[in-house]
Amino acid sequence: MDLTVSLPRGLVLKNPIVAASGTFGFGPEYASYVDLNRLGGISVKGISPKPWRGNPPPRVWETPAGLLNSIGLQNPGVDAFITDDIPFLTGVDTAVIANIIGHTVEEYQAVAKRLDAQARIDAFEVNISCPNIKEGGMAFGHDPDQAYQVVRAVRMVTQKPVIVKMSPNLEFPGVIAKAVVDAGADMISAINTLVGLAIDLKARRPALGGGTGGLSGPAIKPVAVRIVYEIASNVAVPVIGMGGVQSAEDVLEFLMAGASAVMVGTITFQHPDRMIRIIDQLPDVLRHYGFSNLNEAVGAALGKAGAVS
Amino acid sequence: MNSAFEVPIVKRLEPASGHVELLVDSPVLAQGKPGQFCHILTPGTLRRPVSFSRLEPSTGLAGLLIQVVGSGTRWLSDRQVGDTLDVLGPLGRGFAPPRLDRPWLLVGGGTGIPPIYAALQAWRDQVSEPVAVVLGAKTRDALIMVKDVRQLGFEAELTTDDGSQGRIGTVMAPVQEWLAAHPRSQVWACGPTPMLRALHGATQGLSGPVQLALEQRMGCGIGACLACVVPAQPESPDGPAYRRVCTDGPVFEREELAF
Repeated sequence: MDLTVSLPRGLVLKNPIVAASGTFGFGPEYASYVDLNRLGGISVKGISPKPWRGNPPPRVWETPAGLLNSIGLQNPGVDAFITDDIPFLTGVDTAVIANIIGHTVEEYQAVAKRLDAQARIDAFEVNISCPNIKEGGMAFGHDPDQAYQVVRAVRMVTQKPVIVKMSPNLEFPGVIAKAVVDAGADMISAINTLVGLAIDLKARRPALGGGTGGLSGPAIKPVAVRIVYEIASNVAVPVIGMGGVQSAEDVLEFLMAGASAVMVGTITFQHPDRMIRIIDQLPDVLRHYGFSNLNEAVGAALGKAGAVS
Repeated sequence: MNSAFEVPIVKRLEPASGHVELLVDSPVLAQGKPGQFCHILTPGTLRRPVSFSRLEPSTGLAGLLIQVVGSGTRWLSDRQVGDTLDVLGPLGRGFAPPRLDRPWLLVGGGTGIPPIYAALQAWRDQVSEPVAVVLGAKTRDALIMVKDVRQLGFEAELTTDDGSQGRIGTVMAPVQEWLAAHPRSQVWACGPTPMLRALHGATQGLSGPVQLALEQRMGCGIGACLACVVPAQPESPDGPAYRRVCTDGPVFEREELAF
């Protein structure tokens, strides 16, 4: 079965499975565990104009069916990414999506401008939804005007496809989705992590060094599916879904909720090769549920809420 | 291509209350270095990193000593002979082997004792200078693997916080005495953060290499997620640099760290 996904501005994924930003490093880290050439794409770890040190440890905490993290977007900055990782990625046959972050509109734009000149970067994912940094980040994703400004600034410096990664910590995701599409976003990815808190009982304090953290993993999958469904119902651009995907069935659920592709993250920590298994199993799962190709499944459940007839 | 693999448990020991040592039959893991670890699948959402407590390349056995602290380690401690573990490993940077011309000082605190035992097991035939092994714990019960260390032919100086075995207090008193008498020592240590911080301070200015094995809550285990970081050099007014225990460590040179 052909699993190719054709997205705006010529972005083509060989299959709908993309490594989620922040869970897969910059590519080389997992190269000895996963045949990267088989992936639909890799969204690299968030990149800022200058190096960010990230949040104090501990940075992860296991929760029921979930994982709470407070990494704080530690990264070596865009120059180090270009020098150290682009050469490696040039030898890999998969779509490379640069996840970009900043404290200000200008910082987002600066990273986009630097990477626009890099032929190996196939698309941008503008992260306006990280809950783990104090300035910028999620603040941009919660205000339609600020979200518009960030995306507009990125749009002005690149003709590459622009994906905007949305926060789940919103009352009306559709409002932000419309704002970023108006600003020129070609696609929306959803969801980033949900803000959470865990207490270390022995230490009598929040378990994570950064205080609150972002919740990922199977615990958030129903929230993610709901938000993807809402966004897909409200805007015309393709949606890339994520949140707790562990299996090809989970992928199909996101596709039917309106996603054109899916990102996979937390499960990779336990099973480095799980994305490959999902890619291998997806054709059979699609056929099992009566789809003869991938596109038929996209949005198959949209507009069908209500009584079962 | 690397992948996770299954290893059978061939022996299960209970060295102390709340501690279980699982011996697994795995020539791949048994080739690991002291100070390295493997990342073990548990029913939750994260694997658990466990340092090697024994490495026997000739028989293909590796030891994994687990202290029960939460749900993951509880599950691991309940595994029995005949069960298998799903592991990634050996992972991380282990201890560098001894230099022939310097005295040895090995320091283990609590669950930091097993990697020290694994080092002694690997290097026991390389002794050419005086050796000190200092093992400490809160109480007598938590002072694990003492008999094993002695069976290798090493003397061990013991300390407990409550004085229930060996000298009362932390490992630092015997450590300071040894370093005063043997200032050219090379040092290997693994234990709780306060112990490593004290050692970091006490070894300032020593001419020999000082290697400290650190612990941290861990995500991927292979360097991608940046969860398991510790404060490291270069330190600036804005804070320390953060380095990964899983791939930059678990063993760090003293000069690399910022306590």
